Amino acid sequence: MYRLAAKRLLPAVGRWNPRFRCSSSGVRALAGVINPLRFYTSASSGTIPDQNPDNFDASASSSSTAWSQEERSRADDETQRSRNTTRPRAHWQDEEARVLQASLRHVIRLGWTDAAMIAGARDVGMSPSIVGSFPRKEAALVEFFMDDCLQRLIDIIDTKDDFKNLIPSHRVSKLVKIRLEMQAPYISKWPQALSVQAQPLNIPTSFKQRAMLVDEIWHAADDEAADIDWYVKRTVLGGIYSTTELYMLTDTSPDFQDTWAFLDERIRDAFDLKKTVQEAKYLAEAVGAGIGGSLPGFMKSVFNS
Amino acid sequence: MATALRLIARSLRKNKIQPLYNSCSFLHSHATSFGFKEVREEEKSQMVGNVFTSVASSYDLMNDVMSGGLHRLWKERLVSKLNPFPGMKHLDVAGGTGDVAFRILESINSVKNRALLDVHDDNLLEETKIYVCDINPNMLNVGKKRAQERGLGDNSSLIWVEGDAEALKFEDDSMDGYTIAFGIRNVTHIEKALAEACRVLKRGGRFLCLELSHVEVPVFKELYDYYSFSVIPAIGELVAGDRESYQYLVESIRRFPSQEKFASMIAEAGFQKVEYENLVGGVVAIHSGVKF
Repeated sequence: MYRLAAKRLLPAVGRWNPRFRCSSSGVRALAGVINPLRFYTSASSGTIPDQNPDNFDASASSSSTAWSQEERSRADDETQRSRNTTRPRAHWQDEEARVLQASLRHVIRLGWTDAAMIAGARDVGMSPSIVGSFPRKEAALVEFFMDDCLQRLIDIIDTKDDFKNLIPSHRVSKLVKIRLEMQAPYISKWPQALSVQAQPLNIPTSFKQRAMLVDEIWHAADDEAADIDWYVKRTVLGGIYSTTELYMLTDTSPDFQDTWAFLDERIRDAFDLKKTVQEAKYLAEAVGAGIGGSLPGFMKSVFNS
Repeated sequence: MATALRLIARSLRKNKIQPLYNSCSFLHSHATSFGFKEVREEEKSQMVGNVFTSVASSYDLMNDVMSGGLHRLWKERLVSKLNPFPGMKHLDVAGGTGDVAFRILESINSVKNRALLDVHDDNLLEETKIYVCDINPNMLNVGKKRAQERGLGDNSSLIWVEGDAEALKFEDDSMDGYTIAFGIRNVTHIEKALAEACRVLKRGGRFLCLELSHVEVPVFKELYDYYSFSVIPAIGELVAGDRESYQYLVESIRRFPSQEKFASMIAEAGFQKVEYENLVGGVVAIHSGVKF
C-alpha cells in the first residue's frame, strides 16, 4: 500500500522496477500534446522498433489518459510494422544497463565521470559514443547505482527471513546499515556522487530515489499505519539515513563501526521520540477530556449563581 | 543555371503528357522532389550538385545571414549532444565546409586536458579520426581551405573524403559517431543514407542529424513562412547572387518529412532510442539514434 502511495505521489517511477521501465511512449504521447505550445521541445520515439508486448501494455496503461484513439491505432500500426522488420538483438535499455554496470568498476579510479562510463563501454565492447546518449551524463551512473542498490536491498528483504525475529527498531537500523554498506566500496568517491545528486537538474530523481528507499525500509519493518504518522516516520528516517550517510564519509574507524553506533543511537532516539509523541498525545487527550468534563459543570455553576 | 532548371522542368512536363506514361506510376517509380518540382531521380543529385557548386564560396556567409548566426548555436548543440571523446572515429557526412568537424575536434581537444589526467593512454589522441565526407568537391575545397586558415591543415585527425551518403566507402562497424548537418534533405533516397549510416556505425555508435524542419507554432509559423519564401530568396540574390538555389533551399525544407515521420524512418533503418529535439520551435530539429 505504501509502495502504491509512493508511486502515486511520485509519478514517472524509477527504473528499478522493470514493469515501469518503458514509459517513453507515454512521454511521446504527452509531448505531442504539449509540443505546439513550447519553443523548445524534445520528444522520444525510441521504443517504436523494439516494443515488446509487455512493455507496450505497461506504457499504454500508465498513460492511458494521454492516448487518444488515433494515437493508439497508430501505435498499433507501428508495433505491427516493427514485427515485420527484423527484431534487434538486444533491448537498448539492457545494453545501457550493461554499460553502466561495467562502468561501476571504474568509479573507484575515475570517479562518477564520463571517463568511467567510457571505460565501461569499452569493457563491454560498445562504442563509448553511447555515453553521449545518456540523459544528464554522470547522473545516469549515480542513479543507476542507486536503483541497483535498492533492487539488491529489496532482494535481501524478500529472501531473508531473520528480519521478522527482530524488533522494529533493530530491523530498521539493520536495513539502513545493509544499504549503506553497499556504497562503502565507493566511499572515497561518494562525496562526488552526492554533489551530482544535488545538482538542480538531478534533484527530482535523487529525491524520489531516496523517498522510495525509505519507504521500502519502513515497508520491510512491517509498519502498517496509514495515518499522518506515515509522513512523519518517513521524514524522520530520511533524515537519519542522510545524516548517517554524511557521518560515514568522515568515518575512519575500522569497518565503519562508529557509523553503525551513530546509526543505532539515532534510530533509538527516533523510536523514543515516537513514544514521547504518543505519551504527549495521551496526556493531551486526558487533559482535553478533563476540560470537556469540567466546562459544562463550570458553566452550570455560573448560571446557577 | 536557372534556365537549366526550367528546361528540365519543362521536359518533364512534356514527358508526363505522353500517353505511354501513367503519370501516377511515373511519379512513384522514377521521380523525386527537387524543391516543389518533381524531377527524375538521376537528375536530383546532379541538380543538388549544381546548387552547391554555385553557392559553395558564399555558403558560410549565407548561413550566417539567413539564420542570424543561429546556425552556430545549433551546431554547438549538435556537438554537445554528440559528446565527443578522445580516440573517437567520427564520420561527418555532407559536412564539406568542415563546420561540424572543426567543432568536434575542438571539443575533443578541450576534453583532452581533463581526460589525460584519468586515461593513461597517450596514443588515444592520435587515434582520433574525423572523416569529413561530402559529395561535392567544391564544398570540400572550401573546408580544406578553412582548415588551413585555422592551422589544422596538416592535422592528421581530419580526413577529407569525397563520397556519396547513399554509398559510403567505409567498412561496416567502423565508426563511433555519424553526423549529418543540413545535408540529409538533399539526399535522393533518405532511407538508403540512413541504412548506410547504420551499417558503418559500431554497436553503441550514435547517429545525429541536424536538419531544418517543420514549425507548427501558430503565429510563428506564418512569420517563418513569410521569412523563408520572401526574404531568403531575396537575400540569396543579394549576397550570393543566386536566387534559384535559395528558392530550392526553402522549398526542399517544406518537402522534408515531419519530425515524427523522420524519427520513424530512423527507427526503421535499425536505430534504437530514437529521439528528437526541436530548436527554435522546430525551425531545426536534432534527431538522434543509437545502433545496438
